[in-house]
Parts: sequence; C-alpha cells; structure tokens
Amino acid sequence: MANQDRVSEEDLRRLCEFLYRRTGLILGEAKRYFIERRAADRIAATRAADFASYFTRLRGDVDGEIEQLINAFTVNETYFYREDHQLRCLTTDLLRERVRQRNRREPIRIWSVPCSTGEEPYSIAIWLLENWPEVDAYEIEIVGSDIDTHVLEAARLGDYGKRALMRLSPQLIERYFVVPAPERWRILDDLRQSVQFTTVNVVDPAQTRPHGQFDIIFCRNVLIYFDDASRRHAAENLYENLMPGGFICLGHSESMSRISPLFSVRRFADAIVYQRPQGEKG
Amino acid sequence: MPLVRRGLPVGEEARTSAGDLLELLARGSVDERWSAARRIAGELGDALALDAALASETEPRVREAIFTGLARIGSPESIAALALRVRSDDASIRTGALDALRTIGVGVLPYLPALLRDRDTDVRLLACDLAIGLPATETTSLLCQVLVDDPDANVCASAVEVIAEAGTPEALPSLRRCAARFPDDSFLAYAIGIALERVAAPSSNADV
Repeated sequence: MANQDRVSEEDLRRLCEFLYRRTGLILGEAKRYFIERRAADRIAATRAADFASYFTRLRGDVDGEIEQLINAFTVNETYFYREDHQLRCLTTDLLRERVRQRNRREPIRIWSVPCSTGEEPYSIAIWLLENWPEVDAYEIEIVGSDIDTHVLEAARLGDYGKRALMRLSPQLIERYFVVPAPERWRILDDLRQSVQFTTVNVVDPAQTRPHGQFDIIFCRNVLIYFDDASRRHAAENLYENLMPGGFICLGHSESMSRISPLFSVRRFADAIVYQRPQGEKG
Repeated sequence: MPLVRRGLPVGEEARTSAGDLLELLARGSVDERWSAARRIAGELGDALALDAALASETEPRVREAIFTGLARIGSPESIAALALRVRSDDASIRTGALDALRTIGVGVLPYLPALLRDRDTDVRLLACDLAIGLPATETTSLLCQVLVDDPDANVCASAVEVIAEAGTPEALPSLRRCAARFPDDSFLAYAIGIALERVAAPSSNADV
C-alpha cells in the first residue's frame, strides 16, 4: 500500500461513523482490514492526496463518491438464492402470517424492486415452488421492477451464466432451466411467463402507485444509494404499496428504522423484516 | 403452475383539484389526509398548506407525511416552517421537524445560526446535530462559535460530538477554549479530549 493511501485509526473511526450514519452498516474492529483496504482503494481511485482530502470529497459527495464508497463496501453482484435466509423467512414465517384469515381466492402478491436482471424474482418463484407446501393452494403473483430498462430486457429473457447459478443445486438447474448455448442457462418459458416485469422509479409515486398493494416487497440494497430526503420519500411510497400487515425485506446493511417510523420491526428466526401495521389502509 | 401474471391492478389515479386536496387534508379521514399531504407536496408544492395542517394534525402517520413533504419541497418557505417547528412544545413535532431538516443538508445553513442562538437550550442542543450535514468548513465554523460562546455545557457537548466526527483542525483552539470555560465538567473534558485527538490526528502517514 502506498504511504499516502494509509489511513490512521482515527480516520477509520470517522469513516465508520460516516458509513453508519449513511447506511446503518456497522463495521467493527474485526473488519478493520476489510475497511482499511476499501478506504485505501477509494483514496487511490480518486487520487486524493490523503484521507482528509478524500473525506472532504466524500462528505461533499463529489462525483457521486458516496455511492462509489458504498459500492466498495457492498456486494453488488446478484445471483440466484442470494440472501436465502430471507427466502427461508418468506416461507417459514411471512407467508404463514399473510395467508392466515384470508380468502384463498385472493392472490398473494410479491414485489421484487429493484429486480435488476431478474435473479431475485425468479429465485422467489423457484423457492416457493420448491419450499412452500401450500404453493398450490394460492394464486401467486410475482412482479419484478427496475428503473433500468436494459436490465429489465435481460430479466425478461432470463438467460444467465454459470456464476449467477452458483447457489443452485444441479437438480434445481435441471428442473427450471434449459441450455440454449454452451455455458448459458435460460429460465423455462413457463416460469419466465409467470413473472411480470415493469419499469419503476421508487421515488416517483406516479410510477409506484399503479403497481397496487403487495403482501411482501423485497427491496434490497437500493435505499442506501439515495440521499436522506429521497430515502424517506421512497419509504413512504413503499408503505403505500404494502397491504396492511404486509412485509418489506431490505438488504442486510439496511435498516428501515433509520429511515422512517412508519413500519414495525419484526424479528423472525431467519431475518429481521419490516411490517406495515395492521389496520392502516394507506 | 400456481404462479399467475396479471396486468397491474390499479387504473389511472383519480384527478383531484387543488381545492379538494386542501379540503381532504383539513377534514378527511386519516387515509385521506395522508394521501392528500403527499399529493399536496408532490403536485402543488404548497408548503404553507402543509405547515398549517401540522397545527391541528394529531395522527403520527399524517404528520410524518407532512414532514417528508416539507423536506421534499425544500423551498425557503418549507425549510423556514420546519425550522420554526423545532421550537414546538410538542416533542414529536420537534423531533419530526429535526428529522426532516436533517434530510435537507446544506439547505438548512441559512437557518442554523438563529437556531444555534435560540434562547431555548434544547433547540440549541438539537441544532448542533443539524450541522453535521454541512460541508466540514461550515460545520466547524458554526460550531466553534458555540464552543466559545454558549453558556450551557450540554449544548457545548453536543457541538463537540459533531466536531469530533466532522470538524476540521481549525476547531482545535475553540475546543481548548471550551474545555477552559467548563473546568469542572468531567464529561465535557472527556469528550473534548476525544475530539482533540480525532480532529488533530494525522490523516495520511500514521501506521495502522
């Protein structure tokens, strides 16, 4: 590491406090090397003279540096069955609550936003088909949405490389994919046509409202990229898109409690999720 | 397959006149007031109407939508309205206003000097926290004034905490003066000690 890239203990502490305030991400002593490496990478990438000038750049969000830093601290790559503890929570706890006292003719609605190239909504579909004993008793509607129309095209196509499938067993790959070309796997047509993909910007209520209300929303690793005002606004939009009693799942480094008091925190064995209180229509 | 794909369920949103939205905000059900507050912010940008509604609104969810709306409008009128609410006797209004102001960032700068000189100690203490969203030089300059002038040790402690995170080395003399002003306050001495270490710490050449 070049000398100018080195960061002192105090610098690391300030950086961790900044990250915590911005994202809720808690980086303790055990992750010191991880933090130091990434901070040094960003200092080098921005050609900052030292940590102080980098920190000034960061706090001023020059050239979107906050997003760059968060990117460096989060795993942006998406793949099937990512954060599968939330999928376990979905079938073990969330759906059990949602279907209690409801008419079996009412569809269960699940929203994956942002859905990027489709790994998440297809994962939800596969997980439900494989792991939820009551899957045949209900109609289930899965919607994947993203602001980026290019990724939505890829999601509709449902064509993936080996890396995206690394968490899936050979049996699951065999059951839900075809092989259109060497080293490429495409979601079965039936499954592709069962998931709807739409364009949405979660900070624009004119785009979120037409999606209606959902039982469960997966909104992982996007709110951290917004500034505080947009984050609050997006949280209120998502609140409107949840049925009373519905759940929202965020990424592991995110906390709704730090964004908005509208939701209740629910702790389940596999995940912490946020719930729109019962009895509020929106 | 039990998975179904339908068109999106809701049609075009019903058009509501500005007058109707204001009427709903004043006299609608909780859901109508919530929705009206959000639409007034987004479609009309009417900060005065939102601020007026706060005076009588008791439902936390609607208050939250009003605060978010005022922050989102971000005009001088809306920021001034939020700044005034920081002085409210109602703790939830005060906290809501502060949370909303915190999301505005540099937009609060013109209002901070007055808040930092407010005669209410609580207002000054909470205003220190708002300075954290400003550029470091502004944060340092505003809070150094607090360190050397404010008669309340708790307000100074709040300023010290923010400087420890976001201050620049220009704060060092003011931190020392603050320590000298409250020689018997052990907590403040401790907090200032940490801030001095952090603000003075060499940034580029320390071994890790």
